[in-house]
Amino acid sequence: MTVTTRADVRRRRDLRFGLGLSLPAVAVVVLLLGYPMGYALYMSGFSWNDKLGSYHPFVGLANYGDLLSDPAVHRAVGRTLYFSAFTVLGGVALAVLIAVLLNVEFRGRTLVRVLLLVPWAVPPVVNGIMWKLIFDGSSGIMNTILLSTGVIDTRVQWLADPGLTMNVLIFAEMWKLLPFLCLLMLAGLQGIPSNIYKAARIDGANGWQRFRKITLPNLRGPIMFALIVQSMWSLKVFDTIFVLTGGSGGPAEGTTTINFLAYLVTFSNLDRGYGASLAVAAMVLIILVTLFWILLLGRRGDDRTEAR
Amino acid sequence: MPTPLTRRRLLSLSGLAVGAVALGGCVSANDSSSNGASGAASEGPLKPGSAPTGEITIVDDNTNKLFQASTIAAFEAKTGIKVKSYTQGNFNDLHDRYATLFAAQDSSIDVVMTWAGWSAEFGQAGWLQELDSSAVPADLIKPALDAVSWQGKVYGLPKFSSVQTMFWSKPLFEQAGVDPTKGPESWDEFVSTAKALTTKDRYGYACDIGNAAGAYQNFLRVLLLNGGDMYDADYKPIFNSEQGVQALSNFVDLLQVHKVMDPSSLQISNASDLGDLFAKGRTGMVFNWPFQYAVATAQGSALDASTVGNGLIPGMGVRSASIDGSEGFAVSKFSKNKEAALAWLQFVATGDVQKQIVTQEGWFPVSEPVLTDPASVKALPVLKTYQESTAYATKRWGTPWSSELDQLMSVQIINAMNKKTTPKEALDTLATQTQALVDKYLKR
Repeated sequence: MTVTTRADVRRRRDLRFGLGLSLPAVAVVVLLLGYPMGYALYMSGFSWNDKLGSYHPFVGLANYGDLLSDPAVHRAVGRTLYFSAFTVLGGVALAVLIAVLLNVEFRGRTLVRVLLLVPWAVPPVVNGIMWKLIFDGSSGIMNTILLSTGVIDTRVQWLADPGLTMNVLIFAEMWKLLPFLCLLMLAGLQGIPSNIYKAARIDGANGWQRFRKITLPNLRGPIMFALIVQSMWSLKVFDTIFVLTGGSGGPAEGTTTINFLAYLVTFSNLDRGYGASLAVAAMVLIILVTLFWILLLGRRGDDRTEAR
Repeated sequence: MPTPLTRRRLLSLSGLAVGAVALGGCVSANDSSSNGASGAASEGPLKPGSAPTGEITIVDDNTNKLFQASTIAAFEAKTGIKVKSYTQGNFNDLHDRYATLFAAQDSSIDVVMTWAGWSAEFGQAGWLQELDSSAVPADLIKPALDAVSWQGKVYGLPKFSSVQTMFWSKPLFEQAGVDPTKGPESWDEFVSTAKALTTKDRYGYACDIGNAAGAYQNFLRVLLLNGGDMYDADYKPIFNSEQGVQALSNFVDLLQVHKVMDPSSLQISNASDLGDLFAKGRTGMVFNWPFQYAVATAQGSALDASTVGNGLIPGMGVRSASIDGSEGFAVSKFSKNKEAALAWLQFVATGDVQKQIVTQEGWFPVSEPVLTDPASVKALPVLKTYQESTAYATKRWGTPWSSELDQLMSVQIINAMNKKTTPKEALDTLATQTQALVDKYLKR
C-alpha cells in the first residue's frame, strides 16, 4: 500500500502546472515542426511525381532504396561533406584563433569586436547577392583588386567553374557565420580565470603550451556546441546557394548539396515522394553528424582547469 | 503515483509515433482531391462564358509592363471583371512558386504565366485548365499557340510571340573594320567577325549559359543552326548526332579556341543581363529575344535605333535557325473564376493589345493580322527579321521533363565548355539520361 504524502500531491500539482504552462509551446512545435516532418515521412513512402498523373502508389521504402543507387545523390552527399568539412572544421578553428586574438588587450579592441558583428547582421539573401556581385566574372570587385595587385593577370570566372563556385560558397558562408562562432568562443575565453595563465607563465609554459593545456580544454563546451550547430547549418545550407547561383545549384551542379538537391527534385522536377525521402535522408544525416560530435567530444571527461 | 518519463518510455512513445506515421502511409494518397488531374476527368475543356463576372488574380513574370500600365484598366472597363491583384515575379523563380501553389491546390490564383515547357509540365500534371477549341481565337499564329499546348491539348492563350535573332553594334563593327550594314551570314563569317570585334577589354560575342534553362537554349540553338534536332517523331533523343556534336564543338571553340566568347557568359543567368551587357557596348554581338531591341534603344544605352543592327542568326549547316520563346497565360485548374480568367486570356490576345505589345514593349504579336500589318514593322524593325526567320527551323521542344532536362544538360554543357569532357561524351551521356526521362514521362 502506497501512502500519498502532501509532498507527493504538491509535486503532482506542480507537474501538472508545469505541463500546462509548456503546452502552448509544445503545441506550436508540434504544429510547425512535427506535422511537416511527419508529412514528409509519409510522402516519402509514395511514388508521388505530379507529372505522372493522379495515381500515387505506396512504395514503402523504395524511394530510400533509390537514394542509395542514385549517382546524383552520391555526388550531392560528396559535395555536402566537402562543404561541411571546410565550414565546420575551418570555421571553428578560425573562430577560436580570432577569439584568442580578440581576447588580448589592445587599443580599439571594442571597435573590432563591434565590427566583427557586421556579417552576422547581414541577412542571408543579402549576403548571397553581395558575394555574387563581388565575385562577378566581368565586373566584380574581387577581380579588380586581384588584377590591380598583380595576383592574377586575367579575369577569373569565379562562378562559372564548379570547383571555384563551391569555394566561393564556402568563403561566403564562413564570412557570414564567423561572428557568431567567434562570440561563442570569446564568451568561453572570458570564463577562464586569468590567474591560471599567470601561474602557467610562472611555471615556464610558452604560448602554445598555454593554449593547448589551458585554453582548449576550457573551450571544450563552446567548441562542441559550435561544431554541432555549425554542422547542422552547413548540412542544410540553402539560401546562399540559391542566391549565389541564381537558383540553379551552380555550374554543372557544382554547389548542389543534398538539401539543394531535395529542393530541385521536389519543386523543379515535381517529384514530391522522392524529394521527401531526400529531405528525410538529409535530416537523418544531420542527426548522425550531431551524435558523432556528442559522442566524440561529450563523452570525454571535463578537462576544465579549476582556479585554485 | 505518476509514472516518471524514462528514456525507455520516451523511446516507446517515439516508436508509436513513427508507427502511426507509417500506418498513415498505408492510407491511399490517391484521393480525388489530391490533384488537379483527377478533376480533369470530371469537367471538360473550358468554354467561353456568355457574360463572365467576378474578380481574378494574376501572377505573371516580369516581362511586360503594359498590362499593369493600361491593359488591366481596359479589360475591366470592357468586361466588368475586376482584376483583384496582378503581381509579377522573376521568371527564374516562378516555376517553383507555381508548383507550390498548385501542389497546395491554391485557388487564390486564377491566371498564371506559361511557356512551352510549363504548358507541357503543368498541363500533364493536371494543374492547368484545358481550353475548348471555341475559346481559341482563329487568328493566332501557330508557334505562339504551340507555347501553350502539349500533345494536342491547349492549356492557355499566348500573350506574345518571341524568337531569337542576332543583334550587333554598328559602331563596334565600324571600329573593327567590318561592314556595319549587314551581319554575318554564315558561322565562319560570324567567327571571323567576332575575332575582329574582340579586343583587350571586350569580347566579340556573349551569351547566357549561367543557369540550367540558358544552357538548354544555347545548345538547342546551335544544334538547329547545324541542321540537327532534339528528338525524332517518337521523342527518341537524336541530339548526339554528328550535327549535334559538331554544333557543340563549334560552340565550345568560341570560348576555348577562338577566345571570342565572353567567359562571363558561363555565369550570365538570364537574357536581361545579356541584354544590358550588349546595350552598354561591352560586347559586339548577341543572339537574344526581341526585347533586346527596346533595351538597346532605350535611354542610357550606348546604342540607338540607328546603331543597332539586327538580322538572322548565322547558321552552320543551314542558313539560319532559331529558338522560340513565346509566352502566354493559362487558367489554374483550381481557380474558382475560370470563365472570368479565360476572358482575360482572350482579351490579351486581341489585336488592340497585341499592337501595344509590339509598339510599346518590342515583342512579336500572336495575332496574324497584327504580324502582317506594315505599321507593326515600322514600329518594330526586328519584326522584318522575324518574318524572314519563319522560313527556317524555329523550335523549343517544351516537354514535361523540360526542367529535369535543363538541369542535366546544364551539367554536360558547362563541363564541355570548361573542357572537362568532350562534346561527344557530353552529348552521349545526355542522350542516355534524356531517353530515361522520355521513358518515364511518355509511357507508351
